[in-house]
Amino acid sequence: MTSPPKAEGGGTPVVGGEREPGKGPEGGQVEGRSPGRLMWIRFKRDRVGVVSAFVVGFFFLIGLLAPLISKVYGKDPFTVYADERPELFDSAGVPVQPNGGISGEFWFGLEPGNGYDVFTKLIYGIRTSLMISLTVTVAVVLTGIVLGVTAGYLGGKADFAIGRLIDFLLAIPAQLFFIASMPVVVSLFVSPRDETPTYVRVVALIAVQWLLGWMSLGRILRGATLSLREREFIEAARVSGATSERIIRKEILPNVVTPLLVQSTYLLPNFVTAEAALSFLGVGIVEPTPDWGQMFAKASTELVLQNDITYMFFPGVSMIIFVIAFNLLGDSVRDAFDPKSAR
Amino acid sequence: MLRFLVRRTLGAVVILFLLSVVTFLLFFGMPRDPALLICGKTCTPANIENIHHVLGLDKSIPEQYLTFLHNIVLGSDSFDQGPCPAPCFGYSYHTNEAVWPTLMDRLPTTVSLTLGAAVVFLVAGLATGLLAAWKRGSLIDKTVTAGSMVISSMQIYFLGPLALALLVYQSHLFEKPAYHNLTSDPVSWFSGLLIPWVVLSTIFAAQYTRMARSSMIEQLQEEHVRTARAKGMSRRYVFFRYAWRGSLIPVVTIFGIDLGSLLGGAIITETTFGLPGIGQLAVQSVFFSDLPLLLGVMLFAATMILLFNIIVDTCYAFIDPRVRLS
Repeated sequence: MTSPPKAEGGGTPVVGGEREPGKGPEGGQVEGRSPGRLMWIRFKRDRVGVVSAFVVGFFFLIGLLAPLISKVYGKDPFTVYADERPELFDSAGVPVQPNGGISGEFWFGLEPGNGYDVFTKLIYGIRTSLMISLTVTVAVVLTGIVLGVTAGYLGGKADFAIGRLIDFLLAIPAQLFFIASMPVVVSLFVSPRDETPTYVRVVALIAVQWLLGWMSLGRILRGATLSLREREFIEAARVSGATSERIIRKEILPNVVTPLLVQSTYLLPNFVTAEAALSFLGVGIVEPTPDWGQMFAKASTELVLQNDITYMFFPGVSMIIFVIAFNLLGDSVRDAFDPKSAR
Repeated sequence: MLRFLVRRTLGAVVILFLLSVVTFLLFFGMPRDPALLICGKTCTPANIENIHHVLGLDKSIPEQYLTFLHNIVLGSDSFDQGPCPAPCFGYSYHTNEAVWPTLMDRLPTTVSLTLGAAVVFLVAGLATGLLAAWKRGSLIDKTVTAGSMVISSMQIYFLGPLALALLVYQSHLFEKPAYHNLTSDPVSWFSGLLIPWVVLSTIFAAQYTRMARSSMIEQLQEEHVRTARAKGMSRRYVFFRYAWRGSLIPVVTIFGIDLGSLLGGAIITETTFGLPGIGQLAVQSVFFSDLPLLLGVMLFAATMILLFNIIVDTCYAFIDPRVRLS
């Protein structure tokens, strides 16, 4: 019956062992295609999914190429134009020109107050946010795999211990814990008397989000492993003398790639918005380091609300587009892996 | 039923105890000196010595924790600021006020904000979600689905300032949101919280719409629903008498979780609108590294979450007669 997919051949990991390829909706003609390839074919047919994939890719590209883009564009997010070009601002620090000072020179206008260039600030902000969230996602996925698969595979005491740990961490009010532990984690690295370097804030942000971020994934992987453990092909591997390490690596991991990938696409935008929330509250990334969330903090100051409402739309709308695209992509990935799942 | 409640309460107490240990260790047991955090950038060794003595930081960590626990249960008279009846979480480093009365002072704001918004988002979310499921595949369904998707991708820290800018600062249609006492001034209480309610419930309602719709559609495919239809009951009857009840379960679960976490402080909403609730208190105490206050808020918020988990599980028994609590 369902034999473990042969992953030794290299290439993309083979996934979707739950279904027998012959019984897929494509009928008999699919012979010889791996489940991974089937998934890819289904995904390509999903127009919404492909478009969202491009949008998401676009954001990552912007983040990656931010220094290059700003070089071509000729500005950086650190120049205080309120000092450099005071003629562009009125006495309150609001851009003189309408719509937040949007012009051929400053594509997205100027920030009220310090007068940073909004365009470069946004792309650098996206860069910072995505870098942090991507790191958190990778850390969470690794932790989820290690603890979830261990709990599911070993069962017994290990399962009990990890299960209780998950229960406990889920009872912690996450957002409150983030903001409460940030100063403590930061103070681990630097004395409160010194200025906090940016990299310490970044590390602290990653650490607290990672600590309370892996539980849902861990639970799902535990469940998946638990049901796989009793399947015949695992038993066959065990009987033929495979070590636990080999069974986990060659038999179980390729079969949990589906929930793993689907969950990760849902997790990443959550981390982006959570990180932005922390920066919005003032406990995440602070000026002058550009950050997506910190732009929202700036946008909610009285100066902006009163005088220059244009400014808040740039971080706001870009984040909405990003989150929507990522969620749609997650749905498409899920549908491609498992066409039977109902919406 | 009683056994279930007792068991769940005991479990919650154990989790709270562990949480208090972990947060206490995190705040006071780290290699860094809390006195440095309190004292800030202008600090002399004499200051630090003084702080140590006043706060009992010169004792060992287990000793400090036992004192902390003792004070919560029995209260304490050993604070310089005055007697501190149980539950005593000590005194704030920054304002020198007792933590528990401060929390209770902030609670009405958070409760008003949360309950007002909860009524709106539950009703609006369920109504739109069920409507979409009832008219599945129609234009209404598609509009509701797309709209809820876009709205639930918005963030309070964008929608809140946007509402403030458009409704308050630019058009002067509404007053700036503020909290007024319900009993002494109900009209201002209502008008002051109107915008926060609307913003908070818009974002939450979108999630409830999606959830109600999908769980209703799932219910309509259940066998008992099909049997009822086959026996000749009208679609309307089956929808509102049979399926509706089953579709409530996932909604109730999430509603309990949301309510519990919001009552522990609607952090972003309160900060955006400057409402003096528990969430705003938490953010403020972070900036002053006010550890006793933070510890108090953390434990309070966790208690709310655990309490509502138990309430939700109890509610299952009333919604779904198959669930037996034992």
